[in-house]
Amino acid sequence: MSVVVVGAGPAGVRAVERLVEAGIRPIWIEESPDGGGRVFQKPPPGFSRDAKALYGADASRAAAIHATVARLRAQVDWRPGTLVWNLRPGPRLLNTQGPDGTKAEVAYDRVILCTGAMDRALPIPGWTKPGVTGLGAAQIALKAQGLAIGRQVALCGTGPLLLLLAWQLTKAGAPPALVLESAGWARTLRAAPGLAWNPVGALRGLAWRAALRRRGVRIRTGALPLRVEGTDKVEALVWRDARGEHRTEVDGVAIGYGLKPETQLADLAGVPFSFDGLQRLWLPERDRAGRTAVPGVYLAGDGASIGGSVVAELAGTRAALAVIEDAGGHVDPLETDMIHRRLWLEARFRAALERAFPYPAEHAAAMPDETLLCRCEAITAGELRGTDAPEVNRGKAFTRIGMGRCQGRVCGPAGAEVLAAARGCDIRDVGRLRGQMPVKPVVMA
Amino acid sequence: MKQALIIGGGLHGLSTALHLARRGGWRVRVLERRHVGRHSSGVNAGGVRRLGRDLREVGLSVIAAEMWDNLPRIVGDDGGFRPFGQIKLAESDADIAKLEARQAATHARGWTHEEMIDRDEVLRLLPAVSGHVRGAMIVRGDGSANPMRTVMAFRRAAQEAGVEIIEGIAVNGIGTTGSGTLVVETDRGPMQADRVANCAGAWASGLAAGIGEHIPTNAKASMMIVTERLPFFCLPTVGSAARALSFKQSEVGTVVIGGGHQGANDIATETSSQNLMNLAKAARIAAEIFPIVAGARIIRSWTGIEARTPDEVPVIGESGVMPGLFHSFGYSGHGFQLCPAAGAAVAELMAQGSTNMPVAELSPARFQQKAAA
Repeated sequence: MSVVVVGAGPAGVRAVERLVEAGIRPIWIEESPDGGGRVFQKPPPGFSRDAKALYGADASRAAAIHATVARLRAQVDWRPGTLVWNLRPGPRLLNTQGPDGTKAEVAYDRVILCTGAMDRALPIPGWTKPGVTGLGAAQIALKAQGLAIGRQVALCGTGPLLLLLAWQLTKAGAPPALVLESAGWARTLRAAPGLAWNPVGALRGLAWRAALRRRGVRIRTGALPLRVEGTDKVEALVWRDARGEHRTEVDGVAIGYGLKPETQLADLAGVPFSFDGLQRLWLPERDRAGRTAVPGVYLAGDGASIGGSVVAELAGTRAALAVIEDAGGHVDPLETDMIHRRLWLEARFRAALERAFPYPAEHAAAMPDETLLCRCEAITAGELRGTDAPEVNRGKAFTRIGMGRCQGRVCGPAGAEVLAAARGCDIRDVGRLRGQMPVKPVVMA
Repeated sequence: MKQALIIGGGLHGLSTALHLARRGGWRVRVLERRHVGRHSSGVNAGGVRRLGRDLREVGLSVIAAEMWDNLPRIVGDDGGFRPFGQIKLAESDADIAKLEARQAATHARGWTHEEMIDRDEVLRLLPAVSGHVRGAMIVRGDGSANPMRTVMAFRRAAQEAGVEIIEGIAVNGIGTTGSGTLVVETDRGPMQADRVANCAGAWASGLAAGIGEHIPTNAKASMMIVTERLPFFCLPTVGSAARALSFKQSEVGTVVIGGGHQGANDIATETSSQNLMNLAKAARIAAEIFPIVAGARIIRSWTGIEARTPDEVPVIGESGVMPGLFHSFGYSGHGFQLCPAAGAAVAELMAQGSTNMPVAELSPARFQQKAAA
């Protein structure tokens, strides 16, 4: 039996670990040069910063994940630096591109997709200027190479990542000049009872906030970025809160409103998707073990639905158990039951987080006409509104939105908000972009 | 007012509807199962080509070329047509001989649009082409257009001419009443008409089979791959005399590579998908002819479904078993350029029963004769 695990973040690591324990030697494919995922991003060789500085309170989990990757590499067919750019469910084949550009076909009987997540963008006028990055991207720059994106940086976003990054930058000696949290206190308080499902996580958020305030970092809640100003680089951020419109001089802006699962391979596999009203995203359907309706295809981690690294580790283990079980192996029902209980608890906390820190959908829907919605093809929100497209695929056909390098991975969700608002219909009714291979650009020859 | 129903909201259906409505005296309705331009009309490679066509359809293609030059006057938009030429490269002496024989055949029929050019002229027109090229045949007034923009222009023009376009309606069959009126069975009930056009693309021969008319086609899903944007290096659309390739750089700098390499398709679910081995072949040929693209990255790919006839030219003409029904399908991967002229021809056939347009050799009768023999 050929088992393939795609991704070596927390979900992939725990999936492979469990498969190896069961005597399986999976093919393990990872797009980046090393394991750990974006959450436990390692510095490149030659860089040294201690784990405590890099990962804070999660240092021990990061160390455990890295140690597990190091231990497992010899026990599997480890293929780092390798992109899976297509999945064909009929013949059960993956198409890959190795570090030197060579293409290969990888056959699978069962594949666990642990494809992770990316920043969820909120296009605003000026967001394509040099000096604007995603919130997660700014965090990776810090974790990987100890880089801050500027000297006077504004962070715009919502939820745990926003305050975490603010705190990490502050500790690294580069406190942000401005932190704009889109959610207001009222919302956070209403969600407070749900957040109590994970008291440690909830208290951590409060502790970061208090510590940032002590260091004099300016945090504004219920605040949203309006536009980035500057001629050929970032010079200022214009934003608003309940008190009105403000302009702050900055040289770097990071924008990220939560994360978005990388669901392209699940889509190519033909996994049915349904709309998740809380995350306001189309997500692949799976059972609590990660099984999908497509034979041999399993999903785990943030690549299926945003749950964070703790959930990803649990879901990775669970999906591996499902593979073992479906292949006729023995699985301890106590172990699966324990995982289900923990996943249930985490899901409660996650739902409360989503309620407390929602994607600012109305703000996205109302973006000014001149906003470059699709940055690959330079299509404005006004151009999309100007079509009579009833759904996003026709919007793509009419305007080229989502036809560029990112294939709609960046602009897709915001574009759907714009189109739905322009049509005056529910976001569900404008659908989602049909997946096409290659899921990321591949070298031709 | 006479009633006409056009089955299929692709380019051929829209063009037929437009031309018929403009004659006056006709109420024209287009019945489209999904939405206008859903399949190959909206997603083909956009080649506007007379070069190298089957001699049976060159006449129609030459008329269509004039219409493309005047497209803004016909549909109010140029469809993104860029007349930068179509070139078929000779990569060997055998290719030169093949192209020269071809040119002689078209010249013998009185058409002079195809021109042989030497290696120097090829290199002047295509500075990035590989040095092994020996010469080429060119049609300088050919070029490429934007399929979706063309579809939208025809849709708009048809609606302005009074055509009613009904999307999301499925046609299940065609029949007749006792008095000779035609009846189109749809999922919203029967609809009557004096004339019906079957422009249903990959699904058209199924409709013909439903009335006992056997017009053999199979479905075709030509694949296209698109690279990231590259610096501008190529204006004409380029093919090869001996190899399956269609290559052009779009107005935004992306390179679109096709050439009839086939993907898989599923008529029942109306989906098609890419066959990787064939795609790799197309990419390799492209990189051999234009080394500049060897390191480029592919950012997307697509296919669209349409019908292919056994002799690779379309079926245009009145049904052999049901008078009043006119077929226009089976364009076999090269119907985009023909659409302005083919629509005019079919509209004329529907309105007056005959046409001076050169479509006699494309009649469905050619398959009935074979079936009889």
